Amino acid sequence: MSSHVRPGLSRRSFLAGSAALLALGAAGCAPSSRAAEGVTLRFYEQKQEVVAYFDELLRRFERERPGIAVVHDSTVAIAPQFVRDEPADVGCFNDNLELARYVERGVLGDLSDLPSARTVRTDIGELTDQYATYPGRTSVLPYSLAAAGVIYNKRIFADHDLPVPETWSRFVDVCEELRSAGITPVYATDRDPWTLWQGLFDYSVGSLVAPGEFFRRLKEQGTDVGPDSPVSFEKDFAVPMERARTISTYFNEDHAVRAYADGNLAFGRGEAAMYLQGPWALSQIALVDPDLEIGTFPLPVSEDPDDRQVRVNIDLGLWIPTASTHREEARELVEFLMRPDVINAYNADNLAYSTLQDAPPQQDERLAGLQEYVDRAAFYQGAGTFVPTSIPLGNYLQEAIRSGDFESMLRTLDADWRRLAGREATV
Amino acid sequence: MTALPTLPAAPATQDAPVRRAHGGRVEPVFYLFLVPTLVVFTAFVVVPALIGIFYSLTDYVGFGEWSFLGLRNYTALFSDPRILESYGFTLGFALVTVVVAQVIALALAVALTRRIRFATTLRTVFVIPMVVAGIVVAYVFNFLFSNSLPALATAVGFGPLEESILGNPDLAWLSIVVVSAWQTIPGALLVYTAGLTSIPNELYEASALDGASPWRQFRSITLPLVAGFVLINTILGVKGYLGVYDVIVGLTGGGPGTATSSVAMTIFGGFTGGDYAYQMANATVFLVVTAFISVAQIVATRGRAVRL
Amino acid sequence: MTTVETPLRRRKGLHRTNRLLTVLLALATLTVLVPLYVTVSMAFKTSEQSADGNAFSLPAPLNPASFAEAWQLTRFPVAFGVSVGAAALAVLLTLLLSSLAAYAIARNWSHRFFRWSMIYLLVALFLPFPVVALPQIQLTALTGLDNPVGVGILHAMFQLSFSVLLYTAYLRSIPIELEESARIDGASTPQIFWRIVLPLLGPMNATVGIFAFLASWNDFMMPSLITSDPALQTLPVVQNIFQSQFGTDYNVAFASYLMAMAPTIVVYLLAQRWVISGVTQGAVKH
Repeated sequence: MSSHVRPGLSRRSFLAGSAALLALGAAGCAPSSRAAEGVTLRFYEQKQEVVAYFDELLRRFERERPGIAVVHDSTVAIAPQFVRDEPADVGCFNDNLELARYVERGVLGDLSDLPSARTVRTDIGELTDQYATYPGRTSVLPYSLAAAGVIYNKRIFADHDLPVPETWSRFVDVCEELRSAGITPVYATDRDPWTLWQGLFDYSVGSLVAPGEFFRRLKEQGTDVGPDSPVSFEKDFAVPMERARTISTYFNEDHAVRAYADGNLAFGRGEAAMYLQGPWALSQIALVDPDLEIGTFPLPVSEDPDDRQVRVNIDLGLWIPTASTHREEARELVEFLMRPDVINAYNADNLAYSTLQDAPPQQDERLAGLQEYVDRAAFYQGAGTFVPTSIPLGNYLQEAIRSGDFESMLRTLDADWRRLAGREATV
Repeated sequence: MTALPTLPAAPATQDAPVRRAHGGRVEPVFYLFLVPTLVVFTAFVVVPALIGIFYSLTDYVGFGEWSFLGLRNYTALFSDPRILESYGFTLGFALVTVVVAQVIALALAVALTRRIRFATTLRTVFVIPMVVAGIVVAYVFNFLFSNSLPALATAVGFGPLEESILGNPDLAWLSIVVVSAWQTIPGALLVYTAGLTSIPNELYEASALDGASPWRQFRSITLPLVAGFVLINTILGVKGYLGVYDVIVGLTGGGPGTATSSVAMTIFGGFTGGDYAYQMANATVFLVVTAFISVAQIVATRGRAVRL
Repeated sequence: MTTVETPLRRRKGLHRTNRLLTVLLALATLTVLVPLYVTVSMAFKTSEQSADGNAFSLPAPLNPASFAEAWQLTRFPVAFGVSVGAAALAVLLTLLLSSLAAYAIARNWSHRFFRWSMIYLLVALFLPFPVVALPQIQLTALTGLDNPVGVGILHAMFQLSFSVLLYTAYLRSIPIELEESARIDGASTPQIFWRIVLPLLGPMNATVGIFAFLASWNDFMMPSLITSDPALQTLPVVQNIFQSQFGTDYNVAFASYLMAMAPTIVVYLLAQRWVISGVTQGAVKH
């Protein structure tokens, strides 16, 4: 075969093929209009575990409300759509520091006049204010509250006659007994930094220092953050970090090399008595052993049982951007999602708590230990969630646990915060 | 078109100046070849880059209100110990990895252009690391470093590796080197292979007749003629390793502690974490540093990589 | 100069070295095959087994359903088509623009405009993606390119520097006599480029093509930011649904990634033949 002919042939057929593909691509880019004369809404929800669940809800909404079609957008990054000034019509997203950025800049519309807004528990609604507010607006409607505490292996506790500890010293006693019995008291997974600040850090801090209040005052201080300022990490978190250090002495020996997946596996196999994780880990543990008897309780870090609180976060909150072009239909979708039968069913099915005032309790047995705290609003949003991602809290914790030195970590946190405050980048 | 005219036997050396086709004037059609590329490139790359650099002088987050800050982000950058630390780590890492990767890639390329059995199969196998998705690489190597390597070390009794290096702040960077090299050797291999095909076989045959050993052949024939490609790969390699991100996120998350935090990690962190403009300043500084290092390499080798 | 004869090396008994080399290379392939084995075996496991932390175990029971699940969850044919389209556009643009530009630069190196154009194009090599990401999002949205077409164009743009570099380097080693005699025969520059130079660039076309294809095929970050319609996303972006911080469905994920890997191997094999044909052309060249 001549070496001239082959490149020529492949060049030409390649060009022809690409032209065809280009045409296909161009045709595909024409705006899709599913409903003939109706409205197409975009619903932004990217929590992977419940994408299918919401797909079904959206189909239900479309059946009940002909003329509106809903596209489910599960793009990972939220920023680009706002950068393009083409945000989704309804958003369903974790309420945290990231969402706070959007709230603060006023790109999320006011939802306070929606009928369903009045059915939301005010104490849960106030949680959203802890991150950011926009004057005169309710920017986010809490949809799903997740509560987390210590996950414990009921059978191990029963085998060793251990009660669920209600005070710090009882907790330490339990750990001691477990250790002398040769059982890992607490399983830690240092290799995934988020598990450290979500569990060890947040639980140690939450019941001793109200995070929402602390960070509000910290922000007011601006760059005046240090050992002499009214509040600082170094001062206010000293005792909680003492607790954290003690807890870390009861970790599994290989905690430095274990990851979240290893933790689920080990706990599922009954290799540890306690696990500082949230409800999201329960389904993973169930993969390993669906019959494992599991319970939860809030970590006590003081001697007063009444101080006990659970760590919560607004796992999903609803919002409608001001730039939405279909505000009326978007509000209808929000109203549909906030209907008691819909919202309560979602939370019941997904190990979370409904945010409505007369919400039914969470039926899953494993979470029974947290119910009363959620009902009583004895909860806090984790301190770690108030720390911007530009401060690698999880990485700092890795180092602190390894060296045992939590004080210098707190000083580093103060220094980092000072720098951020100087740039006004604390959100 | 008639058959190719035959050529004189002298091979073109890399140092011979390129002879121009015409006296001193440029044929206009050459502008037609080049200018469209320049135009699209400017529109889609250079203009956004300039805009991005402008953003680094503000507190813009991509939408909403913003204000002009001047050089405040830059002064803040130079007093940030974590940023400086990340540059130190990244530079050291890039240096080590480029040496490791280029040596292995060149050795493989030379080996594969010899007449050995299964050359095509082997070449295809060696290209696989380049096409494997990041999450797969992360999972597999996580497992290998956390379980297989320690098990092997314990069996053999090699102390330092008995605990997973991923949890060791002093050794974790080695895992990043290994995986980065693993992923980028195929690319370098491809470039070297293409470059090596331009070396005529007669040179090897003639030297073999004269009794030259394979190493002598490599040193005197292969190396000089692929020198340009070695330099290209080195410059591109350093540039690529300076931007190491995916591997670190998948293997160590910047840890243990902040032992393996690279510049790209902090930049991307700010990109998604609200510190956008500050990290744009970081990215601009990074751009200057990378360009400086690459230009320094080109100048030090008297432009052989670019001009060949 | 005629065709290449059997290399003298064989006859001189360097056969032993070649066998040793083959063995060494086979060992080296283990570094590639072991990870590949893990990938394949994980794809055939059940969800439970894939979470049991034993990467090297064989799938038991064998569960090919992960592939069907992955196919469904990712709407594989659509995402695959989009990825192919964007990658094809990227490769096409890269090959065309880079080879033309490199030829102009290589043959006019003594003129400042062309020398400086080369350096200008090389600038993009050092640009970290975050610097241009946000402005590019805004630019593509403004020009209606926030879709796979825009993605393909941007991929080509990012490949330009590297490709021009490669082409220029290679062109420098192609002696100019071929083109000069064609010119004497009365051919115009475009004709010379299309008929003589481009075929001679065979190995480089393949190399540049492979790099451009792979850069586009495996890219997650840029398409996820640029394409506004989630239904038109490329494969890597769509495959991200398997990965959540709180639990990864490894068997389904790996099945999906295996299916996505297959075309890259095919493309590479096709391009390989182009490179090999370039080896023989290299001999003819001399």
